[in-house]
Amino acid sequence: MADTAPLWAVVLLPFALVAAAAVVAGLDAVLTAAAERGRGGRPLRAAPAPLRTGLRLLGGQPRRTTAGDPWLGRIGIALVPVAAVLAGAVLPWGFRAVTDPVVGVVWFNAMEALAWAAVWLAGWGPNSALSLIGGYRFLAQGLAYELPHMFAITTAALGAESLRVGEVVAAQRGLWFAVWMPAAFAVFLLSALAMAFWGPFDHPLGRDAAGGAAAEHAGVDRLVLLAGRWLLLVVTAGFSVPLFLGGGHGPWLPAWAWTLLKTAAVLGLLVAGRRLLPTLRMERYLEFAWTVLVPLTLLQALVVAVVVLNR
Amino acid sequence: MLDDVVFWALAGPAVAAAVMVFRFASMARATYALLASLLCVGGLVVRLGLDYLGVVVVLMMTIEMALMGVFMVMFMMNPAGLMPMSMLHNRRGAAVISGGVFVLLAAGVLLTPWPRRRGEPAADPTKALGESLMGPHMLTMMTLGLALFATIVATVVLATRRGRYDRFGDDLRARRAGDRGDGGDGGARVRGGAGP
Amino acid sequence: MGLRDVLLRIGAGHPAVLLACLPGATETRLAVEAGLRRRGWPVAASPAAASALVVVGAAGAADEEWVEGLWRQIPSPKARSAVAGAYDVEAALDTLVRPAAAPVPGDGGEHSADHDGPGGHADQGGHRDHDGHDDHDGHGGDDGHGGHGGHDDHDDHDGHGGHDGRDGHDDHGGHGDHGEHHGHGGVVAGLPMAGRADDRDGLRLDRLHLPLGPGLADWPAGLVLDVALQGDVVQHAGVRPLPPPAPGGLPYWDEPWLRAARGAHVPRGTAARRRCAAHLDSAARLLAVSGWPDPAARARRLRDAVLGGAPAREWSAELGRLVRRVRRSRVLRGLTAGLGALPAAGARRFGVTGPALAADGDAYDRLLVWLDDAVRCAAEADDDRPLRPYDRDGPRGRLGGPRAPSDALLDALPELLRGAEFASARVIVASLDPDLDEVGAVVRG
Repeated sequence: MADTAPLWAVVLLPFALVAAAAVVAGLDAVLTAAAERGRGGRPLRAAPAPLRTGLRLLGGQPRRTTAGDPWLGRIGIALVPVAAVLAGAVLPWGFRAVTDPVVGVVWFNAMEALAWAAVWLAGWGPNSALSLIGGYRFLAQGLAYELPHMFAITTAALGAESLRVGEVVAAQRGLWFAVWMPAAFAVFLLSALAMAFWGPFDHPLGRDAAGGAAAEHAGVDRLVLLAGRWLLLVVTAGFSVPLFLGGGHGPWLPAWAWTLLKTAAVLGLLVAGRRLLPTLRMERYLEFAWTVLVPLTLLQALVVAVVVLNR
Repeated sequence: MLDDVVFWALAGPAVAAAVMVFRFASMARATYALLASLLCVGGLVVRLGLDYLGVVVVLMMTIEMALMGVFMVMFMMNPAGLMPMSMLHNRRGAAVISGGVFVLLAAGVLLTPWPRRRGEPAADPTKALGESLMGPHMLTMMTLGLALFATIVATVVLATRRGRYDRFGDDLRARRAGDRGDGGDGGARVRGGAGP
Repeated sequence: MGLRDVLLRIGAGHPAVLLACLPGATETRLAVEAGLRRRGWPVAASPAAASALVVVGAAGAADEEWVEGLWRQIPSPKARSAVAGAYDVEAALDTLVRPAAAPVPGDGGEHSADHDGPGGHADQGGHRDHDGHDDHDGHGGDDGHGGHGGHDDHDDHDGHGGHDGRDGHDDHGGHGDHGEHHGHGGVVAGLPMAGRADDRDGLRLDRLHLPLGPGLADWPAGLVLDVALQGDVVQHAGVRPLPPPAPGGLPYWDEPWLRAARGAHVPRGTAARRRCAAHLDSAARLLAVSGWPDPAARARRLRDAVLGGAPAREWSAELGRLVRRVRRSRVLRGLTAGLGALPAAGARRFGVTGPALAADGDAYDRLLVWLDDAVRCAAEADDDRPLRPYDRDGPRGRLGGPRAPSDALLDALPELLRGAEFASARVIVASLDPDLDEVGAVVRG
């Protein structure tokens, strides 16, 4: 079912992701402006704000801090968009991904795990206490979200009896996984936010710690880190479409349009849903993640396994 | 040809990064040099045709090294770049041991009469791996899993001084857990009535 | 250079503004925040994120140093302006944009657009931002600080505006942390190494002394906390003594009651509005620090509407919606409950009055008291009867005693902060929200 896309798709992928990230960031800016200025404040005019910020950072100067480890920090910063694009390589557009390896689901998981290293390194590099606190926060967050997340994507792979993303999509021709694996789907959405350290999981870059891991990064460094975060959000949220929402399957419209629609819907849901929640601090969330989400996802996997065995 | 290029492109950096683990004077750099080395090894495993194992090496090692980095610096707020420290300890002993192990392994590689290949590699190595682990060795895996889990629980129980009675009160009736993260210091402070 | 100029122009048109709020300038701060909101300019959380600095209030000699520290840490191109009073906000914000895009010719590409006349360029010596090589020292070098060791820059850096004048960390030796020695090697690269001390689990871990404030976002203006951190756990916190307040006007949030006490005619509506706005301001800070920017932004907008004199019917419905939304959030409750528990008995011992006493509980309880009080005040916002001169209940507690309400809040802080994690510590500070304007002699009325 799923084919590998032509070579030009490899070149196109980063640009497509950046464009999607800019749109999502614009939506977020509009919602923020609506909260700040009210409906009368013409919030729609804030849509290009992320682009303006990006250009400002591009023209700004990076900075160095005393006795830091700038190269380690920069490796961490660069890892964020690199991980996002590498994970995006297995993201099917319609039924075609840039590549569709046998173990695509595990590949995706491995690439987003690079964020563990990335955020900590970005926080470590500048030799600043607040920024290091931000880096440590992400590791605590990783411990909270990673296990339920792994169980959630395992459940989807179990339902399809394959680790190949294309086959996971193909298995949902009749019924979307989101319908009969709702718990796994919900947990995946939560962990998508968490691994993009965005939204209610933005504590590693929290404003209370003056920007956390990003506190000391300016100029292009900052741009790459923050834009990489949006890319990561787009990719992780977008991956819920092939895993749980039937990928390109749908009536009337072509497959690519369905992918686009579903991805936009998931991203819109996440960006709008962020308004409803304060930042989740891990010292409170971890207990919930391990005592509620882990058993929940395990139960979900058990149910799916029983269904698959009796199919 | 391409295989050779890929092999050396991964093997060279793997060894170089491994050497750098002992050359760096910063624990963070050493940790992430080790990670770089292990990522290259993961790539080599993929080149062997074991996609699943290779990608899992990448996944697990990234998470493991990120956590190990924390344990290595263990909340040292002085980034070790500030505080140069040697990664070499017990130099002579270490040299003897590592040299001995290398000689042993190399001798093993060169002297073993390797058998000729019989049969074909499985069409789906991931499935073959799963079947060999979960088929004949199911009992081993189950035992291993339980033993590991019991170890984790036991270590945590031994390591923590606080139990549920400290968190939820003697009758386990407290509405919220009195955790230290909330500013309590392990039950020493009385909540509610007494005040600071 | 063409592309870079275009980028600079775009960047200068929408600066990210770092606010350096000085004590005694609450009214100005509100005006600046409203001005930034109208323009849609983001408020930066750290110097690295900023491209402009706005000094809010009149800087005294003591403030000069940390404000300069902030300014040095902002990467160029950058602009700066100072707002002394609420009236010249628009002009000051305009100067951030206007000439910033004009590079100084023949200056090695330095695009610093520093419009602040006096003092702005005083110690830029260590900080020449040459194009193309980015390894300038973000801490502002040491050249400008002849008198201090370089490590003070480090402090300055971490706290986003600590005080350079502090001399090392040795003054913390006597806080009961036995055997604390400063570092394995004392000073490395001009920065002091963290010492070691037992942590709460009995492990010997590094301990770092760090000033928090006064340059942090959503932080009481002028407050500096000296904390000892292990990991991100606050082992010890102390409020740095404040410089004596500059003689001047009454503290903004307490003004109606103090004026009424002096016999002036103050309508009750004015006082109610002031109290309502003060609570919304505090609640907005607490919500922002808790990472919930959406209701925080709404609370700030409401605060400005309340102070702007709009009739209560125009905003009371929205206030009700905001309060219901915050009250309904079980997540917020789960995240803030139990932080900074200050039971009434303990509060009385510190002399705390007002909402923090009435809350008789933790950060979440204090937030609810603020919000409920704000709703109650909204009902009286258009009351024209005069405020009774013996009504001394200001937004933060009873005025007219020997000590200002915020004095008591500051006294309560260190005990509440001990053992809290960094994020919890921020929530605790925000949930008390001491107003340093009123600390000092003026409040005695």
